[in-house]
Amino acid sequence: MDYGIDVKEQEAVVQLKGRLTFNDHAKLRALIREMLQNKAKRQVLDLSALEFVDSAGIGMLLIAREEMANVDKQLVLRAATGQVKRVLTVAQLNKIVAIED
Amino acid sequence: MSDVQRALQQQDLGLLAGARVMIVDDNRVNRHLLLALLERGGISQVEMAEDGNDALARMESFRPDLILLDLMMPNLDGFEMCRRLRADPRWADLPVLVQSSLSRAEDRARAFAAGATDYVTKPINAIELLSRVRIHLQNRALLSDLRMYRRRTEAELDLARKMQERLMPSADRLVESESATGVAIDAHFAPSSELGGDFWDFRRDGRGRLVVYLVDFSGHGVAAALNTFRLHAIVQRMDFDAFDPSEFLAAVNRRLCALLPNGQFATMLAGVVDPETDRFLYASAGSTRPMVWGPGEAEPTLCDSSGLPLGLLPSVTYETRSVALPPGGRLFLYSDAAIEIPVGPAGDDVLDEAGLADLIRGDLHEPDGRRFLDSLLPRLAAAGPIDDDLTALLVTRRSDAPPQPGPTPARRVAWRSE
Repeated sequence: MDYGIDVKEQEAVVQLKGRLTFNDHAKLRALIREMLQNKAKRQVLDLSALEFVDSAGIGMLLIAREEMANVDKQLVLRAATGQVKRVLTVAQLNKIVAIED
Repeated sequence: MSDVQRALQQQDLGLLAGARVMIVDDNRVNRHLLLALLERGGISQVEMAEDGNDALARMESFRPDLILLDLMMPNLDGFEMCRRLRADPRWADLPVLVQSSLSRAEDRARAFAAGATDYVTKPINAIELLSRVRIHLQNRALLSDLRMYRRRTEAELDLARKMQERLMPSADRLVESESATGVAIDAHFAPSSELGGDFWDFRRDGRGRLVVYLVDFSGHGVAAALNTFRLHAIVQRMDFDAFDPSEFLAAVNRRLCALLPNGQFATMLAGVVDPETDRFLYASAGSTRPMVWGPGEAEPTLCDSSGLPLGLLPSVTYETRSVALPPGGRLFLYSDAAIEIPVGPAGDDVLDEAGLADLIRGDLHEPDGRRFLDSLLPRLAAAGPIDDDLTALLVTRRSDAPPQPGPTPARRVAWRSE
């Protein structure tokens, strides 16, 4: 998994690319730190270029959600497609995290 | 000197005092010089050999921790002795510190090619030699610690794996259940490493109906496996009098929410085969989509399995869904490993539900459930690498089954002893 981060006034948009699996644990930790440090209230994960997520990857997204909530920031998952979208839908994650098309 | 330094020095002295070193040199004066030097460094268990043959003959009885080896010796020289030593697995990683008057780069290269660990040239510098001896002994002790740790870990994982296997239904229980309910279950369970986060089991509820459930904890390995034990304990204590899938999942979820740390969760499907209505009633917490087909049907039906995974939100409710499962009908449940197999030229696509359905289509009506799975598994493996725990369950309602199973006689707990 690779990511690029673009911080604006109101929201920070993080582009995730490739596959998000257990192996990306350290990388996602680093990303969460960056998201905690910037000022934006809304932290958007743009998933349009994410090809695959496994259960450990979903777990990491949920950790990110909680860490943002702890400092009063909102995590948004945006523009998932393909397998990633299927997984988010079947797991009904919209019940606990904001999901946008 | 700080406490830490003192402690290290203490440890060092212990290491050297316990070390066994063999000196191999054809020159008597050299041998005694090296002996005196080692003794000055605190090493008292020293064996001396006059040439390669002599050294090899003493290896078994002395069992050195390190060898100080001369190269130019009569009979069997240091190069050849080193080669023979390395050919024996027992001595393959024994530190061999060459001390030689040969100082050309080619000689060093030859010695290393023969298996030497390190090289010092004569005349010997006492401090340097002792320092190198100490370093190699330390490395050896660390390596041996690591090996022991690894062996212990492997043994423990192996034991844990056996415990996990015993958590799953035994063949006896399956046979007994099939004759009582007319529902056969064939199962495949393969953790990706020693331990897995998948778990499945079945029960009979108070009305004699067969209840089956399949769980997949996030991640795999030890943490996920420990969670399967937790889940087993939770389910053991639940009431199976009149099984209700949505209530069951909601209850398991509440228990897991209190146990699982942030970032861990489980997907689960739990359902009951209801012979009165010829339906399978189930609830799903983000499990994979069950596939169902009746006798004579050419396509499996992909059922809805959406639902929030367990362990994330205590207040969540689940929906009981139902699908026709007449006698002769079949239900196929599987963990997500089966639909996350990377496929395509760049491996950037996955074998999704449609791909899995393609793989089973030809075998839908294979009478032998075991053969259904045995035919599927190699084809899954051929589709791409499976890097997660894989569980597959085929539930078959026998068409010749006793139509109305009676209630379960009395709740029995089967204890299996070692």
